[in-house]
Amino acid sequence: MRDMSSTVIELRQIEKSYPGVKPLDRVDFTVRPGEVHALLGENGAGKSTLTRVIGGAVRPDAGTITYLGRTVAWKNPRQARETGIHIIHQELALFPELCVAENILVDAQPRGALGFISDKARHARAAEILAQLGVDIPTRAHIDELPLADQQMVEIAKALVGDLKLLILDEPTAVISGKEVDLLFANMRRLRGQGVGIVYISHRLEEIFEIADHVTILKDGQVVDSRPVGAMTRTEMITGMVGRQLEQIYPARRTVAPSGDTVLSIRGLAAGPRVRDVSLDVRPGEIVGVAGMVGSGRTEVAEAVFGMRGIDSGTIELDGKPLGDHRPRAAIDRGVGFLTENRKDEGLFLNLPISSNIVAPDLGRVTRRGLVDRSREREIARRQIADFAVATPSPEVKVGSLSGGNQQKVLFSRWSRISDRLLILDEPTRGVDIGAKVEIYRLIRKLADSGVGVLMISSELPEVVGLSDRVVVMAQGHVVGEVPGEALSEEAIMALAVKTVDRRNAAARLGEVA
Amino acid sequence: MSALLMDLRRNRLMMSYLIVGGLILLILVAGGVLSDRFLTWRNVTNVLQQLIVLGLVSLGQTFVVLMGGIDLAIGSLVSAVTVFLANFLDWRPDLVWLAVPLALAAAATVGAVNGILTVVLRVHPLIVTLGMSSVIFGGTLMYRKEPGGSIPRALEDIAYRNVGGIPVSAIVLVVVFAIAGLWLQRTRAGRNIYFVGGDAEAARLNGLAVGRITVMAYALSGLCAGIAGLFLTARTGVGDPRIGAALTLQSITPVVVGGTILAGGRGGVFGTFLGVLLVTMLNSLLNFVGVSSYYQWIIQGVIIIVAVGFHTVRRT
Repeated sequence: MRDMSSTVIELRQIEKSYPGVKPLDRVDFTVRPGEVHALLGENGAGKSTLTRVIGGAVRPDAGTITYLGRTVAWKNPRQARETGIHIIHQELALFPELCVAENILVDAQPRGALGFISDKARHARAAEILAQLGVDIPTRAHIDELPLADQQMVEIAKALVGDLKLLILDEPTAVISGKEVDLLFANMRRLRGQGVGIVYISHRLEEIFEIADHVTILKDGQVVDSRPVGAMTRTEMITGMVGRQLEQIYPARRTVAPSGDTVLSIRGLAAGPRVRDVSLDVRPGEIVGVAGMVGSGRTEVAEAVFGMRGIDSGTIELDGKPLGDHRPRAAIDRGVGFLTENRKDEGLFLNLPISSNIVAPDLGRVTRRGLVDRSREREIARRQIADFAVATPSPEVKVGSLSGGNQQKVLFSRWSRISDRLLILDEPTRGVDIGAKVEIYRLIRKLADSGVGVLMISSELPEVVGLSDRVVVMAQGHVVGEVPGEALSEEAIMALAVKTVDRRNAAARLGEVA
Repeated sequence: MSALLMDLRRNRLMMSYLIVGGLILLILVAGGVLSDRFLTWRNVTNVLQQLIVLGLVSLGQTFVVLMGGIDLAIGSLVSAVTVFLANFLDWRPDLVWLAVPLALAAAATVGAVNGILTVVLRVHPLIVTLGMSSVIFGGTLMYRKEPGGSIPRALEDIAYRNVGGIPVSAIVLVVVFAIAGLWLQRTRAGRNIYFVGGDAEAARLNGLAVGRITVMAYALSGLCAGIAGLFLTARTGVGDPRIGAALTLQSITPVVVGGTILAGGRGGVFGTFLGVLLVTMLNSLLNFVGVSSYYQWIIQGVIIIVAVGFHTVRRT
């Protein structure tokens, strides 16, 4: 079945640019029949744009596409689909209100008498396709009743309706695990055996070694490497994607010795069902990590300090004075900032420009005679954009159009301005690619070195270990221990975290990143 | 687990129907108690005769709402059709065979233009159709400022003729709704309306011709408004530039009362039909018990807000 001389698709010198960014820069990319071709790169490297070009959703500015030996220029996704290209996007293209069968046969509803769609034939055909995949999903179930893994299988089933030549999977394993991944891979191997070309995008390198035949690495819209998987090492892949060595990820630890007094002092805090007994201190210039499983009460402690959550007993002191008024406004006025874990819902105004986002919490400082001073706002924004290396052509760009890493930098720059005493970070690098992570780590350390206390909550153990001066470990609403900087390791933190709970369970949840 | 959820979902839509059906029954009972003329055959046929106009505009609105849009040009379009027919037929009563198809084609074209504008300009349909409504209203006033014109007797007949004691218009309405239901459920074009309404971006990524489907839904709405205008002209015998003004809001009420969600992608014409019955009978009852039309306006507004609130709350 494998014919290495022919190609399914061949992209030559593909270019695409948008104002201020160039997601694809002279990209060459070839997929052969019966090949699983892994596409690697950081977020924003151009992978998604490339798949959209292949799928006809985006038209390239320059370059040629040869598909099955013919030069093509698709005007819309339909044309690409009709010729046997199927893309499974990260955001599944399913209709949640409709049943499984209808979703699978979205553009190929079988017709019966008088040309009407036959309900019976529809469900029979859908069941047949699902059986091919080896999954048991009721065809009459509505999509929004299914777990994500099943939804994904429905998406793959759609690909099998027509004559499939090229299948593109954009991070299909981000939402599934274990057995489901095995099933996905078994199906990919079967399709590969049938001569289908497969483009596979994933951040999990182990998977690349397991399933891929060939690897192409994109960085900043350019192909930096393309070789058979056997000819590339793990380190080479990472270096190619990141463009630097791994050792440089975390900045050097504290250079200024912390003074004796504390910026934050919590004693015997109880707040709601999840915070039972928490005591901890943060000194100026110190990064204190808070580790513990999801649900251990970490976020709730942060919310209590920031005045988002009432306290039942215990004390919270800022600079030796009790936190009187329990409102975020009061905390902000005393120099406390809180970067929440959910930046899209609780942090950023996605439809507003970067400048407005940066000055949002202290508009009063840029207001004169009741009017916002726009030029001052822009000036502050420009300085912040430069200081925090936000990649944008102008402070007037909408935040929603920035990459995840740049959004996080905007949020970080906003709170850094306000937090001259204490900054609380909750999952500061979630959904951010490795390059932006490195910059954010550097920024956190810089802020601490300027004398601000930092309390950092994170589920990513390498990050907690790499960045913190000291780590407080929480479990079930209690502080169960503390690991000083010189003794920091993932094992030491885990040993404390699992003292009171089922060990395996904790390891699984703590080790999401491992 | 999922089987149970499926049952719940079906029951939920069923529950919508049951509630509306129950309210209809309640109106029948209340009407019987409050007035000895409400449940007479004469009033029943009268209500059945009234169904057609509201029924058709609501059907058109259902297509558009299911597809994820909204059509606020319906009322003006209905008025324009009555004026066109009454003016044209006043001039040449013998050309009914030409005037009617011309009016319907023009109405469908106006609808299609609404669709094309939302697709090409990417302007929200609320604005496009509101703007169109104003354009049509102004254009209509140029030809007729007050009710007038005339139509031949034969055309008036379609509004009043009975077959076996049942108004022809009501039979037409039931047949049209049945065809519409079958079309939505069992043809590719009909299902496409649900796809685009469910998630337009997903529809595009699935290779559906979203633009074409959008235009089709608006064109159907225009056509329905055209037929409604035809029946309204037949009933009143004149063209009136303001007669349809209230129909735009009225066309939305049965749709949302019948369980079609404004966000699109869920619902159907059966619920709309029940909604039309409910609204028409309620208005009839209110007339019988002597409630002024001011209150009818208030009640109409309350119903539409409560219905949407009801479905929003139950969805979450």
